[in-house]
Amino acid sequence: MTDWRSEARLRDERLAAGRAHAAGKVVPAGAAIDLLEAILRPGDRVCLEGDNQKQADCLARALAACDPARVHDLHMVQSGIVLPEHLDVFETGVARRLDYSYSGPQGGRIAKMLYGGQIQLGAVHTYLELFARYFVDLTPNVALIAGVSADRDGNLYTGPNTEDTPTVVEATAFKNGVVVAQVNQIVDTVPRVDIPGDRVDFVVEADRPFYVEPLFTRDPAAMTETQVLMAMMAIKGIYAEYGIARLNHGIGFGTAAIELLLPTYGERLGLKGKIATHWALNPHPTLIPAIESGWVKQVHCFGSEVGMDRYIRARPDVFFTGADGSLRSNRAFCQTAGLYACDLFIGSTLQIDLMGHSSTVTRDRVAGFGGAPNMGSDPHGRRHPSDTWMKAGREAQTVGDPLLMRGRKLVVQLVETFGDKLVPTFVERLDAMELAKKTGLELAPVMVYGDDVTHIVTEEGIANLLLCRDADEREQAIRGVAGYTEIGRGRDRAKVEELRSRGIVRRPEDLGIEPLDADRALLAAKSIKDLVHWSGGLYDPPAKFRNW
Amino acid sequence: MSPASTDPQALSWYEASARQRVAALADPGSFREFLGPTERVTSPHLPLFDLPRAFDDGIVVGRATLDGKPVLVAAQEGRFMGGAFGEVHGAKLIGLLRAALDVRPAAVLILFDTGGVRLQEANAGETAIAEAMRAIADLRAAGVPVIGLIGGRAGAYGGGGLIAGTCSRLAVSEGGRISVSGPEVIETNKGAEEFDSRDRALVWRTMGGKHRRLIGGADAFADDTVAAFRAAALDLIARAPAFDLATLEAEQARLEARIARFGDCRDATEIWARLGVNDPEAVPAMTTAAFDETAARVEEAHHDAR
Repeated sequence: MTDWRSEARLRDERLAAGRAHAAGKVVPAGAAIDLLEAILRPGDRVCLEGDNQKQADCLARALAACDPARVHDLHMVQSGIVLPEHLDVFETGVARRLDYSYSGPQGGRIAKMLYGGQIQLGAVHTYLELFARYFVDLTPNVALIAGVSADRDGNLYTGPNTEDTPTVVEATAFKNGVVVAQVNQIVDTVPRVDIPGDRVDFVVEADRPFYVEPLFTRDPAAMTETQVLMAMMAIKGIYAEYGIARLNHGIGFGTAAIELLLPTYGERLGLKGKIATHWALNPHPTLIPAIESGWVKQVHCFGSEVGMDRYIRARPDVFFTGADGSLRSNRAFCQTAGLYACDLFIGSTLQIDLMGHSSTVTRDRVAGFGGAPNMGSDPHGRRHPSDTWMKAGREAQTVGDPLLMRGRKLVVQLVETFGDKLVPTFVERLDAMELAKKTGLELAPVMVYGDDVTHIVTEEGIANLLLCRDADEREQAIRGVAGYTEIGRGRDRAKVEELRSRGIVRRPEDLGIEPLDADRALLAAKSIKDLVHWSGGLYDPPAKFRNW
Repeated sequence: MSPASTDPQALSWYEASARQRVAALADPGSFREFLGPTERVTSPHLPLFDLPRAFDDGIVVGRATLDGKPVLVAAQEGRFMGGAFGEVHGAKLIGLLRAALDVRPAAVLILFDTGGVRLQEANAGETAIAEAMRAIADLRAAGVPVIGLIGGRAGAYGGGGLIAGTCSRLAVSEGGRISVSGPEVIETNKGAEEFDSRDRALVWRTMGGKHRRLIGGADAFADDTVAAFRAAALDLIARAPAFDLATLEAEQARLEARIARFGDCRDATEIWARLGVNDPEAVPAMTTAAFDETAARVEEAHHDAR
């Protein structure tokens, strides 16, 4: 007879073994290793919650300390490889296979381990892809998640960094898996229930609160006048022309400069209320002046940002907040929002080739993807029109019946022609291709594919790739804004001037922008302290960003 | 250029270039530069290291009037090599200070913005620091006040901190920092447990304008505008101390008392508490008005020695 309940029985066994170390659902931090050794089976698929910001660090330390004779050959399926312990488990043999999305701080070590064969890599995913596979062929047997507090029944308050948690729990708890949550505190009543208790099997009171890194803070004091110029070009040449109301900003000084120019330069251009009203965005501190000036209608967040809690609580008309008043973020929903409901993604990158492919990979690091590939792609499943989307579609497609036309999402790369340490941004060949060869990846890790990119903005001008009609025009448009890099100097000057006459390449003067006007004085806030003042004292910056 | 770049009321001292500071600080149109960039007196050493030079070697010197009175002014450009002292840079400052002995202006103003001596021309830089301190002592003995204004990105570090210590009076803003060894130097030598240079709140608590004002290391606290520094400079010129044996003995006594009283403190907040500040934790976030009230109640901040 067919056994239809083998998974459920295995779950019951795991729970029974785990209960030996728990009082009800509650497990002391000192027993975390015993708990994990009791509930895990060799070869299990495990999600060790590593988000952009919130890390299940106490459980990560416990997993890394498990006896490899009992716990081995795990298949890790998690979005972030961020902590050293996330890779330590592969050195001890506790884990063997890996499917993940992002490994920023561990990018160098992960490349070495891939090269050395210590990790069997499934694939590097975008967030939405990995989340999708949680429900198809990478469903976790055990999820180790993180929250701020829980009650004794397991009701979980994630705090403002909800991030991946609901997605991970949904896939695990409803498919016979076991969910273990680490929390900073066990309380009688949680401020709000982010995850209902019947989806959480064990609660570990962590020995210390989980660490959150301020990833999304850019100090206005470090912004350059080049970045101000590029922000002016983006606002006047793209935001104003396409009437971009719904958008997502990548992190970086260029996009932060745009946020700080809205209340000054944007106001002067009469754009308030017409652009940048609805956002899919982490709560960037640099958005505070635009919010306070009435530019921003609403913001949905992937995660939160250190120091923004009190400010967000005081602006519930703008942010999504719970009954307790604090931010409710959700990476899966916000990624979906950025993909389908935003008309523009603008972000930065390290390398762009002659076809417009871009990558943040350097030779020795596998940093993974995160959200940019989804944000920075044209969703073919989109059906609802907007003026922005339609205008971009018309620019890309000139023949055929308008009723059968697809719109286009605007995907903008905002880069200086030379990056950090004067490394050229524009290259013949992406380092990502070298890396793929070296590490045996089937696909080169391309962040945004050339056919998704619609505009490239540099200090030299804007290249509109939508208007290019063939590969040669596209190459010359890219060379035409590549400045004094080898790529830029290799341009066909006559062809670039021809493209300029057609509005495909536009210089600051073509946009009516005087480069000498690109002054830091235009920034609505010139320092972190200015942001604190804008927020009425509600923004509480972390120590590394203070100069007072 | 937008109005915010030139209006002294709005122009941020921290944001402004050395030239913008001087132009907006002095009476309008009164500044005359000596050895300006068109003369192209540049560093003879930097090309040996394949490093770019600046036509003014990172310092602007000249004469101007302040409220109608003649002054000599030197302003360091913190954005060129961190405002560091090289041979030409130092010679321009020393030349200005020695000229003051002949010209006898109402005051000499030094707008510090420096990390100290330029490593590529260290001997010349160190010599310049010593000569500048000697020249300031001579000037003060002759009755010419030398006022230091500190609120730039680079602060007044290394030899700049030493020269600041010889001035008649100092004005500092919240962003300004005064010290000799910089945060990274201390961390490198003593470890991050002793001093974490990335903890910027700690750096400013220890070396920043508010702390220097509260312990009497600076004599005025200015808002971060050129107008506020101008007002502070005028005020300090009017109450420069005499440079005599009594002043120096009082200064020595003050410094000995300071180390005895605060030598065991682990953090600036402990010092502020001993100085009688009610809520030391609140000091960093205080507005200028609230801070001025706090400083007014702290005796140490009004010691007249120098």
